[in-house]
Amino acid sequence: MATVQDRVIEVTARVLQLDAADITPDNNFTSDLGAESVQSIELVAMFEEEFGIEMDEDGALAVTTVGSAAEFIAGVCKEQGVEV
Amino acid sequence: MRLVLFDRQTESRINFYPVALCRPIWELRCGMTSLGEKLIAKIGATDVVGFLPEYIADVYRERSDWTINDAASLGAEDLLLVNARVKAESFEVAPTGPSQVAFDDNGECLFARIAKEDLGKLVTDSIDGLIESAREAFPRYEGEIATWNYTWDLILSNPEQLTKDFAAAGRSGNVGHVEEPLAIRGSRDDVYIGKDARVHPMVVIDAEHGPVYIDDGAEIHPFTRIEGPCYIGKKSILLGAKCREGNSIGPMCRVGGEVEESIIQGYSNKYHDGFLGHAYVGEWVNLGALTTNSDLKNDYSDVSVMLDGKHAIDTGSRKVGSLIGDHTKTSIGTLFNTGSYVGAMTLIAGTGKPLPKFIPSFAWFLEGVVTKGFGKRKLFETAKIAMGRRDHEWTPAQEAMWEEIFKITAEPRMDAIKKGRRAMRAQRS
Repeated sequence: MATVQDRVIEVTARVLQLDAADITPDNNFTSDLGAESVQSIELVAMFEEEFGIEMDEDGALAVTTVGSAAEFIAGVCKEQGVEV
Repeated sequence: MRLVLFDRQTESRINFYPVALCRPIWELRCGMTSLGEKLIAKIGATDVVGFLPEYIADVYRERSDWTINDAASLGAEDLLLVNARVKAESFEVAPTGPSQVAFDDNGECLFARIAKEDLGKLVTDSIDGLIESAREAFPRYEGEIATWNYTWDLILSNPEQLTKDFAAAGRSGNVGHVEEPLAIRGSRDDVYIGKDARVHPMVVIDAEHGPVYIDDGAEIHPFTRIEGPCYIGKKSILLGAKCREGNSIGPMCRVGGEVEESIIQGYSNKYHDGFLGHAYVGEWVNLGALTTNSDLKNDYSDVSVMLDGKHAIDTGSRKVGSLIGDHTKTSIGTLFNTGSYVGAMTLIAGTGKPLPKFIPSFAWFLEGVVTKGFGKRKLFETAKIAMGRRDHEWTPAQEAMWEEIFKITAEPRMDAIKKGRRAMRAQRS
């Protein structure tokens, strides 16, 4: 079963049109992966869709790296009773 | 006699969204003045208090000297309670007299006249209590009470109301500054240029089919054509605008392009080219260059509007444009469909195609779908900047009110966001 981090990487690759194999947990969405502002919004939306959660946009957009996104999402899943 | 204007959080209140989300219905404009100003003038009241949804009260107190939502104001005078939806011009009830009440078919109070000596029979610790006890205690008024039922009623009545309000104001002539050549068609008696208003050269004022009132401090730039009936509010600026008939433009607006039979509440910008027709625009709105709304369907059928994002309401009119809430901003090239509802605090990046007919409040419409965007905090920051540019303060009371509006408007927004996510995912898979 894919981990939260695997799924975050998969969604990131799909939205930013990158190869998932090239994405690592310490990659910064903006400076390393080239996410522009509209893509940041799209990433948040696609994470919500992938995990079936609702994220506070201020909190979600404060996340900068792939690894911290996985941690943040795991926390939200736990809060909202979503099994991952 | 004390006039008590009231605007309760009833089911019909949504009919005046998005512009009534952040203000009492009596503040909405039709013609040269607000609905409240018309009621006060008609009734001849000098002692006025107001009751409105509690979440708006603190903001309203900041801009009004009236006593607001204070049950103590219901205790010691002859009272005339009037619903803000009542049409002033057809309200023929004497301000004082025997106690009596009127309710509409939905059970909503339209007015209650309560003689001082009857107050002891009633519950006076709240407006709701007073109305409900009056409903039980007093006879019904036998006459008709006409009401405003939807925001588009105001738009559609605006031309006629402008003409009546101009006559009621009783002013004509020029007490401002006019740089010739100014071309006036029609009678000069149907034109008023107010104190400190500036009309630049090469302006056409066409009063042949209705009066034109340019209020104090307004500025009309060259190559603007204003067709009456029309009202240009205090310190508003028209920038080479094709200002067609039937417009009410509130204070401190910047208006260019083509505008027809529309109401702009105030402090909003439509600086550039683009058509706005049969629309009602709130305050602090910015319409980007070439933002255009349709107000007529290609098959000439009646326009419908969705106020809740789910149910279309037939307006009964072939011409209705957009209803646009306060603090909404549109990008260049935004195209609104006929009868569009665009919520408050919404940010729209146009796609080059006509947008969905319902865009909820606090939505970030990006890449053709509704998203959470950068959230309400960012929208609040933008609102603060926009208001600061006109020397208005974004106060803690405003922030608290908009936080409440964010909650009130959550359901249709979340529905649209979920739909947007599904659309995004489909595009990406």
